[in-house]
Amino acid sequence: MKKKILLLALFASAFSFAATAQDTIKTTGDAPLVISGSVDTYFKTDFSGKPNIPTSFANENNSVSIGMVDLGLKKSVGNASFVGELSFGPRGQWQSIPNEAPVTAPDGSVTGFSSYHIQNLYVSYNLSAKFNLTAGYMSTFIGYEVISPAANFNYSTSYLFTNGPFQNAGLKATYTFSDKVSLMAGIFNDTWNNYQSNGKVNTFGAQLTITPVKNWTAYLNVASGDVSGTEYDLTTTYQITTAFKLGLNAADFTAGAPYGYSGGFTGVALYPQLAVSKVVTLGLRGEYFSSKTGTYAPVGPKPGESVTGITFTANVKAGPLTFIPEIRFDNTSKSDLFLDGSGNATAGATQFVLAAVYGF
Amino acid sequence: MKYLIPVFFFILLAKTSVAQQDLLSFDEHNKYIYYQVENMPGIPADTLEQRGLKFLKTGYPKILVKQDNTGKIGGQGKFLVYGGISVLKHEKGEIAFMVNIEFKDQKYRFWLTGFVFTPYQRDRYDNFVPQQGVDIPLEQGPAKLDKKDFDGYLDETGAFCKQFGERLKTCLSKLPEAKKAENVKKVVTDNW
Repeated sequence: MKKKILLLALFASAFSFAATAQDTIKTTGDAPLVISGSVDTYFKTDFSGKPNIPTSFANENNSVSIGMVDLGLKKSVGNASFVGELSFGPRGQWQSIPNEAPVTAPDGSVTGFSSYHIQNLYVSYNLSAKFNLTAGYMSTFIGYEVISPAANFNYSTSYLFTNGPFQNAGLKATYTFSDKVSLMAGIFNDTWNNYQSNGKVNTFGAQLTITPVKNWTAYLNVASGDVSGTEYDLTTTYQITTAFKLGLNAADFTAGAPYGYSGGFTGVALYPQLAVSKVVTLGLRGEYFSSKTGTYAPVGPKPGESVTGITFTANVKAGPLTFIPEIRFDNTSKSDLFLDGSGNATAGATQFVLAAVYGF
Repeated sequence: MKYLIPVFFFILLAKTSVAQQDLLSFDEHNKYIYYQVENMPGIPADTLEQRGLKFLKTGYPKILVKQDNTGKIGGQGKFLVYGGISVLKHEKGEIAFMVNIEFKDQKYRFWLTGFVFTPYQRDRYDNFVPQQGVDIPLEQGPAKLDKKDFDGYLDETGAFCKQFGERLKTCLSKLPEAKKAENVKKVVTDNW
């Protein structure tokens, strides 16, 4: 008898489970608190045996290294929402948040950099279905690539990404004119990648989003400030077929004058990607990056010089895990950016990365 | 007995997990469809149509409704599908669908079909947004989606359709309830 009751109870609980599952589909209403994020690790080697290519992340030679644990919290209630995204690890700390205080050893030597680990921290309010206000510290609206490895196709990053802003703190308003045109305009702190201003909130930023045809979106961006300089940027993606996507990023930067800088950089990168199966996508990044003549020295080629980078990347998906094998060839206009195996300056550098990114 | 209970438990779980997929059928064009015919004794077709229109406009305001006063209502909408559990549950994509409702005296029928899945991807602001240009008819899901994910989307589609049908039936079968006046407890401070 006891066994029968137990079986009946199991039976009933299984059915109640099924009934509950059917009733939990939310079609309207407020979303619950959501946690999402990623974890990434990688192996990287430079073919010359020296750490060479200076763009952001994955810089060590012959090393199994970690990227970051990225944790995003978000919640929406009615028209109000917030996002808080914290990151822990080299990629989400000193490699991408360069303004934080140095950590020093007892002898005074710098051993690393501290940070608050914040990638995104903003609040947002929809004044209407078409008009949104957002304030806080946000991922930049400029450029094609981002810090989060889960939102990038390539694991290594471009010179355009490394030299552009990562985050902007400020207040922005976005108006959606139609499903083909929207405009964002905002006022941001005087410097990039800072949680607070250096006394002024005077960087103007704007983004015009256009969808000329279905599946093609173009973002025309500008960020201009006395201190931070002026960057014009075009970022566009076109999903030409279900399998083939083409992305483009072009930018021109002129350094801010107050620190006595002149010069800047200009560049263009092309991102063709082809899904060859439901788990494998192949992609290429071809980039040309030029440093303008002047006193401003971007990461990469010296003023007046340029670099070309070709990166072949595959994304192999295994559920939430993505394996990213990648080989990258960079070549400079002068033989002074990279080192060969003997430690002599050379024009070219080649590196291999195998990364694993788990998104949740 | 100690082995029997887990076996029963997993059989029942497996059965219930496929049950929601079983709510969907294939139509004559080999498209997934959720189809129901319901009797509404004593209610004329025009009343059913008015209630049906009100149901879509109030219950599913984002559905684009097309009505031609010929006893038929059509519409296009979409719903979100989720992955993960508990607080890790978040949008995995959206499924667009077409709905058709036809009315006759004392009965109606409706069907949801044309299910197309659009995966979501994470953007730079840590939001999940539609992956532009990737639209996968559910019928092509087995070839283009991870099996576990696809099964989950079918389950959620079946559950959405079932819930839609139940709400529609409730709405069509009765007049909207008159709003009850709220009993506000009042205290008159002039009196001791």
